[in-house]
Amino acid sequence: MLSHFLNHLFNGMVLGLLLTVIALGFSLVLGVMEVVNFAHGVLFAVGAYLAFTLVKLVGFWWALLISPILVAILGMILESGLIKRIYSLNALYGLLLTFSIAMGLEGLIKLIWGPMGYSIPAPPFAAGFIDLGFMVYSKYRLMQGVLALLLILALWLFLEKTTYGAVIKAGTISTEMVMALGKNLPRLRTFVFGMGSFLAGIAGVLTAPMWGIRPGIGTEAMMPALVVVVVGGMGSLYGSIIAGQMVGIVTGLTVMFYPRLSDLMMYVLMLVVFLARPRGLMGTKSILEE
Amino acid sequence: MNSFGSRILRLGGHPITLTLFLFAILPLALPLIGGHISLATEILIMSIFGLAFNLLLGYTGLTSFGHAAYLGLGAYGFALCELYLTKRVWFVPILSGILLAGIIAFLVGFVISKKRGIYYSLLTLAIGQLFYFIAFRWNEVTGGETGLTGLVRPSFRIPGLFLLDLSNATLFYYFVLLTLLVTMAILRRIVNSPFGAVLQIIKQNETRARYLGYNTFWYKCACFTISGLFSGLAGVLYAMFTYCAFADYLYWVNSGDVVMMTLIGGGLTSFFGPLAGAAIFIVAKNFFSSVTQHWQIFMGIIFVIFILAFPEGFFGILRKQKLFRPKTTSG
Repeated sequence: MLSHFLNHLFNGMVLGLLLTVIALGFSLVLGVMEVVNFAHGVLFAVGAYLAFTLVKLVGFWWALLISPILVAILGMILESGLIKRIYSLNALYGLLLTFSIAMGLEGLIKLIWGPMGYSIPAPPFAAGFIDLGFMVYSKYRLMQGVLALLLILALWLFLEKTTYGAVIKAGTISTEMVMALGKNLPRLRTFVFGMGSFLAGIAGVLTAPMWGIRPGIGTEAMMPALVVVVVGGMGSLYGSIIAGQMVGIVTGLTVMFYPRLSDLMMYVLMLVVFLARPRGLMGTKSILEE
Repeated sequence: MNSFGSRILRLGGHPITLTLFLFAILPLALPLIGGHISLATEILIMSIFGLAFNLLLGYTGLTSFGHAAYLGLGAYGFALCELYLTKRVWFVPILSGILLAGIIAFLVGFVISKKRGIYYSLLTLAIGQLFYFIAFRWNEVTGGETGLTGLVRPSFRIPGLFLLDLSNATLFYYFVLLTLLVTMAILRRIVNSPFGAVLQIIKQNETRARYLGYNTFWYKCACFTISGLFSGLAGVLYAMFTYCAFADYLYWVNSGDVVMMTLIGGGLTSFFGPLAGAAIFIVAKNFFSSVTQHWQIFMGIIFVIFILAFPEGFFGILRKQKLFRPKTTSG
């Protein structure tokens, strides 16, 4: 019983870390560009599909590296070709433009890889289970968790300890000020969008063996990430981490006790948090509320 | 530029007459161009949905991104009433659909009306998904994945006098058209009323509206409820149209579709925008999905071009060509 419980708890925590990775990419773009990026989910899907093809050619580790980079390049092309044109307009246009892009890319996925789904086996070295002493746990999930944690750590180091990270953080507070200080704002935005896409892509690669891949996976992955952003509070890295864990653990434990409600509970959690703290756990007042 | 066209458009006088005329002859014209009446019916239903949605978006400046939930709730309200309560009295299932959507919309509106902007969009979206998952998982009541099927369209009868059976596609079309007209009349009355004026102040500047002494919370909440009621009405019609209620009706992608319809029609600046938008959207979707299975790519590309090139939507183009000059909703 206890090991069963721990298993689900761990599953939830790993899921939470992955959701945090997706959510961080989404909220970086939201923070700097004030664009609700509905293409985030489909970029996640593109990452998973690219990895599906690349794994056969170059193996898991290279796929894990190359696929997100390709997704980031795709993201930067989309940003500099299309999305940058609507920054001056109402936020609604960004939301609709990315929604259309998502629709087109989902169609493209169906064109290239076909409309049916695939299940993806975990890479051979991470298949099976490992004895952690207090419980036996899936090797692949453990690896997912560790990689996601490293990724979040790397992002934290980048945002908190590097100059360019500081510029990005400043961009989430006031883009005009950043521009006034002589920073290249268009390049910053393209870079941030690329980074967000990279995070979506790598999360896609990592989750593919767990969720399988199908054309609609992007729209499905969008929502939990969004819940994490709302629960954690917009623009807060720590908030996203805590919210990711809350959402993950709540989902993981519901899977154990009442599986039917598993995809519902995160929305209930969100409502509860929202009623208690309207700006989310760590959110502060921001321009996004106007 | 085209003086003949503009004269015709002005001759139509009130846009409602024009719309009425266009839609009234549509069933006669459609077979000539190879269309089917169900396409026109779907356009009308989505127009009602779009108009209801536009009360929030175009008039109050609130971007709800979970509006498919209220359409779906309307459909389920109608279906559940038919299956478990009564289908004898024709208006009872219709009313229960509308009321279910309206009541839920009121509750949701009560929770979220302090918010605005992107936060408002994200919250409505997530709450919409909550209802989607309830519909999807609560097998005992909603039928889960298989949905509720075997619905019937009501028939009006006065014994000995006449019988209107809506399972006839043409009759159903005119029934929906009538509903659309009633909806338009009511919504137009609302937006031109003092209440509607306050909504438009909220769109322009909520803080200022509050300083003027208006309790914006209740105005927003009421607006959300009204919008929910009419979305529910659209849902009821949609359930009649398809003879079933599916959880899919509530899925967030459909919420995106209605925002898209409203915007490409030009709902931000025109009361009638959603009608044009629904027509363009549904015709395009039908056309591309009949030509290729990869219709999503084409729809995506077309919408991207449309949004970038004509951010004011269909009515924006018309106005630029001085063909049509509707009352603007924004100052």
